[in-house]
Amino acid sequence: MKIFVCVKHVPDTAATIKVAGDTGFEDADIKFIANPYDEFGIEEAVSIKESQGGEVVIVTVGGESAPDTIRGALAMGADRAIHVEIDSQFLDAELTAQALKAAIEADGAPELIFTGKGSVDTESFQTPYRLARLFGMPVVNEVSALEVNGGKALATRESGAGEKQVLEMALPCVVGATKGLNEPRYPKFPDIMKAKKKEIKAMGLSDLGVDESAAKVTLVKMEPVPERSQARMLEGSVDDQVTELIRVLKEDEKVLG
Amino acid sequence: MDFDLTKEQEMIRKEVRKFALKEIDPIAGELDEKEAFSEELTQKMGEIGLFGMFVSEEYDGQGMDYISYIIAVEEIARIDGSQAATIAAGNSLGIGPIYYFGTEEQKQKYLPGLCSGEGLWGFGLTEPTAGSDAGGSKTTAVQDGDEWVINGSKIFITNAASDMTMGVTVQAITGTRDNGKPEYSCFLVESGTPGFKAVPMHNKLMWRASNTAELYFDDVRVPKENILGNKGDGFHQMLKTLDGGRLSIGAMGLGGAQGAYDLALKYAREREQFGQPISKFQAVAFKLADSAMEIECARNVLYKACWLKDQKRPFEKEAAMGKLYASEVMSRVADHAVQIHGGYGLMKEYKVERFYRDQKLLEIGEGTSEVQRIVISRYIGC
Repeated sequence: MKIFVCVKHVPDTAATIKVAGDTGFEDADIKFIANPYDEFGIEEAVSIKESQGGEVVIVTVGGESAPDTIRGALAMGADRAIHVEIDSQFLDAELTAQALKAAIEADGAPELIFTGKGSVDTESFQTPYRLARLFGMPVVNEVSALEVNGGKALATRESGAGEKQVLEMALPCVVGATKGLNEPRYPKFPDIMKAKKKEIKAMGLSDLGVDESAAKVTLVKMEPVPERSQARMLEGSVDDQVTELIRVLKEDEKVLG
Repeated sequence: MDFDLTKEQEMIRKEVRKFALKEIDPIAGELDEKEAFSEELTQKMGEIGLFGMFVSEEYDGQGMDYISYIIAVEEIARIDGSQAATIAAGNSLGIGPIYYFGTEEQKQKYLPGLCSGEGLWGFGLTEPTAGSDAGGSKTTAVQDGDEWVINGSKIFITNAASDMTMGVTVQAITGTRDNGKPEYSCFLVESGTPGFKAVPMHNKLMWRASNTAELYFDDVRVPKENILGNKGDGFHQMLKTLDGGRLSIGAMGLGGAQGAYDLALKYAREREQFGQPISKFQAVAFKLADSAMEIECARNVLYKACWLKDQKRPFEKEAAMGKLYASEVMSRVADHAVQIHGGYGLMKEYKVERFYRDQKLLEIGEGTSEVQRIVISRYIGC
């Protein structure tokens, strides 16, 4: 099975972001990582390859330091990669999808495409849908369990309302991965060394026929969010307060898993 | 001159850091509190390749350079001294002597199980009455036909009494040299050999989640092929092992200093007194500036020593300097870190107190700071 995994090179969520200019941030000293949701996609793709055979190709649209992230994906077991190099820190979601599609198509017919459910930097949650639309493929996002068999993908997703949906899609399709899908492996050290020898094919947007000036959404202003310091008072019985506190820590502040 | 690490070395750092944060950080405090050695965690560390890092792939090692190994120890120590001790002792003292001095049969027999992290191996050198005076050890081995008979005891031996321990290397007197001094040889003693007992040591100040043992040898008989390398090489093997081991202790000092500094900087930027973060007060800021400077210096001297070793050039003096300096830097940095935390720094909820305790071993183990100064002074011609 030929599987593509779209991986975004994003600033570490623990990094301190300093806005530079009107629409950018200082990135020279910031640690970048693979978008954590994409890592679930890499792990799933590699385990499908391990059980069913095939090939896993990483596709990244990102700046010149993106190969550092790509090497990590290769060390996890992907076979090779395509790096679409861009200069801007924020590329319009439609152009990103066009670039991913063109890069994948030029490489061969995909049987399965993984993306993360969204990226932790811009959080616009568009890539899986836009990519699926461009390909005319079915898509399910926020997939927390997946079975791929006999030309079909059975994807489980949790809806916001608390129920689980199990959706069947014909291959090829796009799967937006999220937490729960698997536990991404740590690369073994010898695999880190082997990743050095795997191919990363570099290309630009123009090689893929993507016109950067045709962006439909343009970032016009970026500003730091003023630090919030006001306290929030919880009310009700002790049980209610504790329940609410746990909810706040889990859902609002995301400090509990 | 090139101060950059390779991409692969950077990736080792990134992956080990991620592993340490995710797998070790959440449980390090509890393991320390309970004084519990975790087999599960040790095996996880083995799975990613933290054992046998500098061992070639033909013995199932990871085939990496020494600096990658040192970076890995540094990154583990940045989160937890105990786990770093398991890794450093496992590689430098457990695997190292067998890899560097063992016969082909010994390497084939023992290294794959140790490099995978399935098993651990201890290195028995220190004795109750022979610490810095390693030449004063009393354990003996006497040849009896096709066997050696070992009698004596060892103390403070890391990784030697866990359920995962497959055996120990033990240094023993095997005769007298021409100059009248004792002749030493090292022997491989497998766990379960009759007469060999390994007893875990408890109530430690530091490294509480690492496994430390007292070893007893009571007429322990091992086949003659269990002698490590050649008869009479024991003293030389021990010295060489400690030269490499010093780099890993230095890495623990460096990583521990970095960890304590990271915690102190974070705390100083968040904690407010007199209406502003305490990091804005010079009294605190200067402590952090000194810490950052000393950590930078420690890293440079230690990496240089590793680079010399990787280049197969003499590195013994720099190894002693790196070990001595990094462990003393961690002492000062951990002290500052606790001071910056104030009263909270004395509480177990805040991790700095663990760094403060774990540090002290580094000035004592694998050659005290005093011994390192002797080593350095001899190299510079005193």
